[in-house]
Amino acid sequence: MQCKDVAQAIEQEGFAPLPEAARGHVAGCAVCSSLLADFESIVAAAAQLPSEVEPHSRVWVVLRAQLEAEKIIREPQLAVAAEKSPWWQGFAELLRGRVLAVSAVAVVMIFAAGYFQMSHREPLTAAVDGAPAGTASQPVAAEPFAAAALSLDQEEQSLAPVQTVSTGGATNASPVDNSLRENLATLNTFIKECRKRLQEDPNDQVARDYLAAAYQQKAEILAAMMERGRSVN
Amino acid sequence: MIVGPATRKIFLPAILPVLGAGMLLLPVMSSAAGAGQKIEKHFTVKGRPVVMIQNVADGRIEVKSWKNSEVVVSASQPSDKVGLDMEQADDRIDVIANILDTSAPQSELSENIQLTVPEQTELQIKTQTGLIYVEQVTGDMKLESIAGDVHLKEVSGYIIVHTTGGSFVCTQCSGKLDFNTISGSAQILQPSLKSVNLITTTGNILFDGDFIRTGIYTMKSGRGLVEVRFSGTDSFDLNAQTSSGTVDNRAEAFLKPDTHGFRRSASKYAKGLFGTVGNGLAKVELSSFSGTVRILKRD
Repeated sequence: MQCKDVAQAIEQEGFAPLPEAARGHVAGCAVCSSLLADFESIVAAAAQLPSEVEPHSRVWVVLRAQLEAEKIIREPQLAVAAEKSPWWQGFAELLRGRVLAVSAVAVVMIFAAGYFQMSHREPLTAAVDGAPAGTASQPVAAEPFAAAALSLDQEEQSLAPVQTVSTGGATNASPVDNSLRENLATLNTFIKECRKRLQEDPNDQVARDYLAAAYQQKAEILAAMMERGRSVN
Repeated sequence: MIVGPATRKIFLPAILPVLGAGMLLLPVMSSAAGAGQKIEKHFTVKGRPVVMIQNVADGRIEVKSWKNSEVVVSASQPSDKVGLDMEQADDRIDVIANILDTSAPQSELSENIQLTVPEQTELQIKTQTGLIYVEQVTGDMKLESIAGDVHLKEVSGYIIVHTTGGSFVCTQCSGKLDFNTISGSAQILQPSLKSVNLITTTGNILFDGDFIRTGIYTMKSGRGLVEVRFSGTDSFDLNAQTSSGTVDNRAEAFLKPDTHGFRRSASKYAKGLFGTVGNGLAKVELSSFSGTVRILKRD
């Protein structure tokens, strides 16, 4: 057996255990034994890696906003309930980790289709009360990106105390913190404008595109605020 | 104390070189220690280096190029409240400025970094505020800032710039450009860019330069002005749209109906302008949600 045969045997049959014929060659071949040692250390290192890496929640929000912007998935044309956490959030929990990156697109499409069908039978109401982006207190019909909006608003609300602690309150805040806050407020106002426009003309694709982009920017700025809070603290 | 001639003869030749070396080393020794000082480090590289700078503190970052295969990092800081870590792993160089004392006043939390790099260098720079300035560097770069501006001059490669409130000026840039900001503005001057994607929520966009054939140019501003100044020899298809703003067409003499491709019309909910300049070789998409889209031929 030669070196290339050993490589082929490893490729086809693996090296734990190494085939009998290959083992004999490896014992007397420095190159092959080094190759085998490398493989073994790679496998050992891989075993040390965590099996699940939890992505930031904004990954899900951005992904959903993008899918909706590209009309791959659609929001239901009905209202959604106030106190209930949206169904997809629970589902997102199940999808956290590496699986999310690989299969989220397909699963979202399947569930969006299912939800769309269900929503024709069972009306729900919106969960956007008291949201910082200034959502309506009444149930809202045909709200574009409602799920993404809700998730971002919740994240924004949870961020407020952290920001206050890390920056010592708005009065002592650094120019960077002020810039982040001002830009977040700008985004929220802009989001309101886009939503108002879409309520007037639900088919305004330009407004829809800008709303999707604004939600993506909001997800990014919230992540930046969180990261800054962590690094300052 | 009086020293005799014999003593002088023996000791002076030995002491003078030591004193001379001490005088030479004085600036170097003082740079490494204490506050309000300058630090300088040299890193020899073999090929195209990748330089990463993360400045958690405030301050200006300036990158210029030279012909040498060496990266020089020099930094100045007003206090010892900011720490600077540098490391080299082959052709990758990491520079990290960290805040050591978060209770220090804002004026003491800054770190100005100057970088001299080989002409072909990849850059990844992340800062909070303060200008990022890059000149005459060829290589992919990702530049991120929260409140600081980004100025690029004679830069080439795949350029990604993200700011929150900082503005962006790109003069004589080439390659591909991707700029995203919330309230910052963008000025693209005399470019040779074949792909441009500019997005701002409230800032303005100015593109003053040529459109390269087969290039794709997308410029969007939520509330601001999107202004494109093209030359009479340019060749591009134009799609300009706004939701509740205005499209200011000052190039009627050059803009003719699209003679190839899709027969398009603006959405009935949006105001739009479609047309072709020259043979329509490049593709230009401009939009503003509630601002103004202006297209004109430059003088």
